[in-house]
Amino acid sequence: MRCLRAVLAAGVLWLCCSPLLRPVHGDDIADRARKLHFSSIVLDTHDDTTQRFFSKSFDLGKRNPDGHIDIPRMREGGMNAIFLSIWIDGRIMGPPAVQKALDQIDAVHENVRRNSKDLVFCRTADEIRKAHAQGKIAVLMGVEGGHMIGNDIRMVRIFGDLGVRYMTLSHFYNDEWADSSTDKPAHNGLTDYGKDIVREMNRQGIMVDISHVSDKTFYDALEVSQAPLIASHSSCRAICNHPRDMSDEMIKALAAKGGVIQINYEKSFIDQAYKDASDKLSGGVVALLDQLKKQCGDDEECLGKKMGEMEKQATAEGKLPQVTWERIIDHIDHVVKLVGPDHVGLGSDFDGATMPEGMDDCTHLPKITEALMRKGYSEDNIRKILGGNLLRVMEQNEKVARELKSRQ
Amino acid sequence: MHTGFHAAACILGGIFVATVVAGDTISERAKKLHFSSILVDTHDDTTQRLLDPKFDFGVRHSDGSIDIPRMREGGLGAIFFSIWIPSKVTGPDAVAKALDQIDAVRRQVSKHPEDLVLAATADQIRQAHKEGKIAALMGVEGGHMINSDLAVLRRFAALGVRYMTLTHSGNDEWADSSTDKPAHNGLTDFGKDVVREMNRVGMIVDISHVSDKTFYDALEVSKAPLFASHSSCRAICDAPRNMTDQMMKDLAAKGGVVQINYHVGFLSQEFRNAEKADPKINEAIALQVRQRCGGDGNEGCMLIEGDRITREFVAQGKLPRVEYTKIIEHIDHAVKVAGIDHVGLGSDFDGANMPYGMEDASMLPKITEALLQKNYSEGDVRKILGENTLRVMTAVERVSRELNGQK
Repeated sequence: MRCLRAVLAAGVLWLCCSPLLRPVHGDDIADRARKLHFSSIVLDTHDDTTQRFFSKSFDLGKRNPDGHIDIPRMREGGMNAIFLSIWIDGRIMGPPAVQKALDQIDAVHENVRRNSKDLVFCRTADEIRKAHAQGKIAVLMGVEGGHMIGNDIRMVRIFGDLGVRYMTLSHFYNDEWADSSTDKPAHNGLTDYGKDIVREMNRQGIMVDISHVSDKTFYDALEVSQAPLIASHSSCRAICNHPRDMSDEMIKALAAKGGVIQINYEKSFIDQAYKDASDKLSGGVVALLDQLKKQCGDDEECLGKKMGEMEKQATAEGKLPQVTWERIIDHIDHVVKLVGPDHVGLGSDFDGATMPEGMDDCTHLPKITEALMRKGYSEDNIRKILGGNLLRVMEQNEKVARELKSRQ
Repeated sequence: MHTGFHAAACILGGIFVATVVAGDTISERAKKLHFSSILVDTHDDTTQRLLDPKFDFGVRHSDGSIDIPRMREGGLGAIFFSIWIPSKVTGPDAVAKALDQIDAVRRQVSKHPEDLVLAATADQIRQAHKEGKIAALMGVEGGHMINSDLAVLRRFAALGVRYMTLTHSGNDEWADSSTDKPAHNGLTDFGKDVVREMNRVGMIVDISHVSDKTFYDALEVSKAPLFASHSSCRAICDAPRNMTDQMMKDLAAKGGVVQINYHVGFLSQEFRNAEKADPKINEAIALQVRQRCGGDGNEGCMLIEGDRITREFVAQGKLPRVEYTKIIEHIDHAVKVAGIDHVGLGSDFDGANMPYGMEDASMLPKITEALLQKNYSEGDVRKILGENTLRVMTAVERVSRELNGQK
């Protein structure tokens, strides 16, 4: 009897907690959440799908069997605006970095051109809203690493002219004028030239992105910038102690100047147990990438595949713990409790990171809306988190640019 | 007394004076025609001066040929700033330096919004003229600046570059220059791809500087008319940089335009012969240029000082004097050979040695005056000043739309 009860109890426990089998609620929240999700502007500030554009087997217009993003799946997941990341290895510098950035910027524009039924290139918050009204997906760009301006402030304007709307001041490695959070400090944050670059970004209306940068770089940028900053794909250090994440003090300071932290879904940034286990195995994300580079060279698709394979195998062997997608909600919740609902959004890192269970790709995005609704978030606040906050920051950056230009 | 002789002398003197004055005065008719036309100059190297933060484009300078006051005075309606670096600079460096120059032009336009407006189409040039502004455009002078990367070509187009000269004075990786040893026999397969992609993105294929074989390869591949942004007539002055009569006819047959270059070494056989006869002259000029500009590398200084020092040599009788009327001779010849619809103006201001009487853009109305005196109709003058170029631009835009499946 006791044995049977135990088995039954275990069974019920499993049913409730299994991410695969959702319990059926006797309410209309699922319905209301779907309505809300598919009528809101769902804006993701960081996706590395750009790297796939160089692979002959990838077609953005078709449903792909791998990866996290393509047009059919964006439609299914209700994603309305996407910032495609322009990224190359942070150790490539100077003119070669500039040309490679241009190649990626071109790939984004060409992919939009080839899929113009569904996609439209946007440069302003207004254009994003218009795209949404027309039932199209807004495509924007962020340059993920200051090394790509080739240590030349003029490239900030050129990138802006080509439609780049944010720049992450560094990637994994320091660049010539900004320290990264995953490299040995060399510049003590931003150099004087780095500060000039931030000022020029303000003038051009290019959002200053402080994901990846060291804490000192963050505070320097915060001080110099006349417009609110963004963290395009960072999560909370209070939950998972990763240098890529933001401490509570940093989040407060960012919010105090009107900025927004866009939550990254990468497993090792959102779950402490996972990060600890992963570090034990690989020595950290940079070390892991370095190892894989030896096998893959510059082939980003190969890198992504190998990381995924390694990850799956380690998880199967029990060396890495499971991470539920609900961790994302924990991070959103933490920011809201800290600074209110106006300073958080979504910066998935789709196609550039390892996704938690239940967020296998962007078709699962509606879960976020439903989870927030179940937690008692108002519809207004959910809309803010889905994209309204980022649009506000964009508009603020556009306003600052107009003011600065009229003064010159 | 000697009244008859006196009278004759006065009359002759009067005619002499009248002739001298007539050569320099612009008639009311010419002024009206000139300033109501859209003068499109397809090649100016002033970009090199724009790279100097101390150079103020908004004030009148006593050196060089181009700034806003002198463009206004000369009725210059649209200017193609040349994006140029020497052929020997290649690879990603060439790309980055080209972007710096594109930025310099764009920045200059945003500094002078009352006078300049960035334009990328014939319609935008016409609109600028209506608004009393000067249209600023760009041409990349040398295929080495795309570093064999079509993505770079497309992004240049996105930044407003409206033509690309397939080479400069040296061959690049996929096209031969007229002033280098043949290496590719014209265009390579990739070079032909470049021309096709230029057609698709609506960038005018410019065949100034290229070898004759490159010209004929490009002519064959291109689905849109081509132009020579700054070339003159080889029949008058046998520089390889100039076009033969046959080349001009073939260019015209496909709707293209030869934009006459004002460089004395391309206008005057006499000048060219003098230069070739004594190579020490150019060496001496180069030496003085280097001294005045602190060595090589400051292209803006070198071009302006090169012009100034050449003038000094002419004044000293070391090189022959070339009058601006030589420009008219080339226009005339090109019209006779290629037709009235196939000639335009590609000065090479701030990048070459200008003839006497055309030292800077303020003197451009003299061209209109001279053509009227030669009995060109007003309609024909408008064509030469800019309508022919605008027609080529419109055709290139149309071909681009068709190739992209648009109406």
